Amino acid sequence: MARIYVHPLPVRIWHWINAFGFVAMIVTGFQIRYIGLIDLMSFRTAVVVHEWIGFVLIANFFIWLIFYLFTDKIRVYHPELNPMKHFRASFRQAMFYGYGIFKGDPNPHHVSVYEKFNSMQSMSYQVIMLLLVPLQFWTGVLLWDVKRFSGMIDVLGGVRVVDTAHVLIFIFFSGFIFMHIYLATLGHTRMAHIKSMITGYEEVEDTHGDGK
Amino acid sequence: MASSRSISTATKAKFRVDLAIAARLALVVLVLTLTSLGARAAGGALSQLDQQCLACHSAKGLEMKLANGDQLPLQVDGAAFGKSVHNKLGCAVCHANTSFENHPPVKTKIAGSREYSLAMNKICESCHAPVFKQYEGSIHATLFRDGNSYAPVCTDCHSPHAVMAKATYDATSGAPCSKCHGSIFEAYAGSVHGKATLACSNCHGAHDVSAATKEGQLKNACLGCHQDAQASHQKWLPNAKQHFDSVSCPACHSPTAKRKVNLRLYDNVAQQAVAEKAGVPQFESRARSADAKGAGLDAMALHSLLREFNREGIDNKTTLRGRLEVSDGVDAHKLTPSAQAIRDCAKCHQQGADPFQSVTVSIVGPDGRPVRYGAKPEVLNSIISVDSLSGFYAIGGTRIKLLDWLLALAVLGGIGAPLGHMTVRWLFKRYAKKISGQEDS
Repeated sequence: MARIYVHPLPVRIWHWINAFGFVAMIVTGFQIRYIGLIDLMSFRTAVVVHEWIGFVLIANFFIWLIFYLFTDKIRVYHPELNPMKHFRASFRQAMFYGYGIFKGDPNPHHVSVYEKFNSMQSMSYQVIMLLLVPLQFWTGVLLWDVKRFSGMIDVLGGVRVVDTAHVLIFIFFSGFIFMHIYLATLGHTRMAHIKSMITGYEEVEDTHGDGK
Repeated sequence: MASSRSISTATKAKFRVDLAIAARLALVVLVLTLTSLGARAAGGALSQLDQQCLACHSAKGLEMKLANGDQLPLQVDGAAFGKSVHNKLGCAVCHANTSFENHPPVKTKIAGSREYSLAMNKICESCHAPVFKQYEGSIHATLFRDGNSYAPVCTDCHSPHAVMAKATYDATSGAPCSKCHGSIFEAYAGSVHGKATLACSNCHGAHDVSAATKEGQLKNACLGCHQDAQASHQKWLPNAKQHFDSVSCPACHSPTAKRKVNLRLYDNVAQQAVAEKAGVPQFESRARSADAKGAGLDAMALHSLLREFNREGIDNKTTLRGRLEVSDGVDAHKLTPSAQAIRDCAKCHQQGADPFQSVTVSIVGPDGRPVRYGAKPEVLNSIISVDSLSGFYAIGGTRIKLLDWLLALAVLGGIGAPLGHMTVRWLFKRYAKKISGQEDS
């Protein structure tokens, strides 16, 4: 079994801070929104923790952004500009997860240093990292100090609009996080992908790999 | 010729008599004024002239029937007048139109006691012009101009024959405000401010009193004394500045008060609360036509009401800004020491919290007081309100129910999809084993 280095240190640091941070944001987010139904901590504690972790995650986002902007590893995010090619690859990947995997078919995506994401991952991570995460940070910062950013909030349509956008993205991440963890267990062993995000090395069998 | 001479002689004789009367009157007034000033200078007692007035006017039950049937009390407490600041002036300064000739003033009939008070207001103005100007801009004067027969004029608050120096004012008496605002004063007397013997005017002003519900009016009064309030709240309260904008001080500092949400029509261009146009009130008629069932505005009705206000001119010029307030003036005065104020965020930031069970929409009325129309509490949690209530949102308390369902769906999907996938994988594995087992056998 070959080992290839697909997750450089800055990416691993970013990933695990992000992972634990997002879990904490979701938990405190639930507590803030559903006080009375959930009683893990006081509302105020939840708000303060939510704010602090939010700022840590914003700073952490820049580790990811700067690393990819200033290294050739950005190629892992290069989009497939041919829509037909992208659609075919995505369909193949969806068929694998939806049917082939049950029969024991090999993963159609082969992991390499510059192609660590399958086409479905590549598309969804770009939407998440370049649209949803920044939007969530932005709306979060606006809600952190509504008065200070009142001008911008008014331009966006008011505090209720900003909050609704923040909650909609929160809803997406609350569902996504379960899917993400599950997909991470679909390597050649249940822990293979998770270990690789700790060591940086992905184990690849006979040039066939499995993305998460 | 003889006749004309006799007329001329008669005219001259009448003139001499008039002159003599006028000279005597002038002499009497001069002497009495001088003696009264002398007497006052001597010891603050009543002047001779005033004593002469009081000879009759101290009679118990002395009153006069006015044209409209009102009884005008004419009795004056001489002792109180002697101690009052107006003692220095004497009766004649304010009652200058009462002369020996027309006293009792039979020539000019007084229409009614209200009319008399009004006429006397002008006398007050002649000495107290700056204060009177303040009064004219007050809610009391506005109410009076609007025909409110209970609206106070000068003499309703200041008993003219017993008006005392400011320094002797006893704030704990609540006078004169408590005369009309009795229940409010009762609540206030038991409050932290009442116990600290602050006067009503410390917060509300005196002659320039404006509608207590006027935007920013009372908050500014609070912050006038509690200057470090913003800084001290910022130490523990997230989004403190926003709370200062959206929550009235008594909403937390009067912890037993019943709270409500007031959605105020706000002009985004002029950056101020929308006021009803004088003479052409539109708000109530528009609200009534939006609320066809008359059960209170629901989310759709609120949306159409806003559309009416934005029909002409700039889009979204008029929006709604929400504010948490106490239900009435009595509750607003039950302020407690800050240690007893509400600090528990859950009092507001949870579904079904008490303040969100009562909602009104309001516009600033012509007299500065809000004109309100009831709305259903559901407007705060409706997805339709994202647009119409864009400027008001309390986390948890006014959360949109549709988003709760979406969240439940996302979490169930997030957990259910992997579980389903795992189950199918397990079933396939079992099936594959069975097949291979059968093939082996």
